[in-house]
Amino acid sequence: MRIPCPFCGNRDTQEFVYRGDASPTRPDTDEAMHDYVYLRDNVAGPMREHWYHAQGCRNWIVVTRDTRTHEIISAEFPR
Amino acid sequence: MAEPFTITEHTNLALATIMARKGVDPAAIEAALADTQLIPTGPGTWLAVSYCDPPPYPGEGRGPVPTPDLDPGLRRDTLKDLASVSDQSGGYIVYRFSGPAARTLLQRGAFIDLHPSVFGPGSSAVTVIAHIGVILWQADDDTSFDVALFRSFAGSFRHWVEASANAHDRHPDESRDPWDPQV
Repeated sequence: MRIPCPFCGNRDTQEFVYRGDASPTRPDTDEAMHDYVYLRDNVAGPMREHWYHAQGCRNWIVVTRDTRTHEIISAEFPR
Repeated sequence: MAEPFTITEHTNLALATIMARKGVDPAAIEAALADTQLIPTGPGTWLAVSYCDPPPYPGEGRGPVPTPDLDPGLRRDTLKDLASVSDQSGGYIVYRFSGPAARTLLQRGAFIDLHPSVFGPGSSAVTVIAHIGVILWQADDDTSFDVALFRSFAGSFRHWVEASANAHDRHPDESRDPWDPQV
C-alpha cells in the first residue's frame, strides 16, 4: 500500500507509523477517559486515521482509507 | 552494473537544519537564504548545505567536533525570529554518486520514482534505502546525486551499495534497459 503524503508524494507504508482512529477527541471528564483511551470502533468502510511519516517529512497525516479495499480517499495534514 | 558509477564522500560540507518559527511564512526563510542550497525536508523545515574551506572534519578518525564555518546566511542572527538553526555537520555523512549508473543504483534501494522525467536536477526526497533514512537530491548535472544519512549508518549503507552494485552478477543481461517496463 502506498500513502499519498501531502508533502512528499506517494510513499510506501514502510515509511509510516500507524496510530489508528483519528476521530476520538480528548474528553473533559474523567468518566469518559476510559472510553477515549480504550474503546475503538472496528470500522468496515471509510475511516479517518492517523499516520506518522517517520521516515519522510516527520509529520502527522490524517488519511481517509476504506478498510475493505485499502482505497485512499484523502490524505491531509491535520492542521 | 553495465555502466560505471563513482561514490565519493563530501568532506567539506557544513550542514544545518532550518526550522521555521511558528507563524513564519516559509517563503520568507527561503528569501533570506537565497544564496544557500536548501533541501526541503518537510513543511517549514530544510537541510541547508554549504561548502566550507577548510573542511569542518579533516582527515580520518574525526575527533572532537569543531564549529563548522557555516555560510554567513545560516548564522543565527540572520534568521533571528524567523527560524531555528541546528548544526548537523557532524551528524550526517554525504555521499556523491555520479556516473551513468548512479540513478539505476539508487533506484534499486529507494521506493520512489527516480526516472529523469519526475526526478531531475533540483529534485530531492526524504526516504529510506535499505531501512536507512536518507535525504537524497540530484545535483545540477544529470547524473550526480547526493545522499545524506546519519553518519553512524555509513558502514551499513556502504554494505548496501556494494551488494547492489554487484547485483548484475546474478543478472547476466547487462544490456537491458532498467527503465523499460517490458523487461
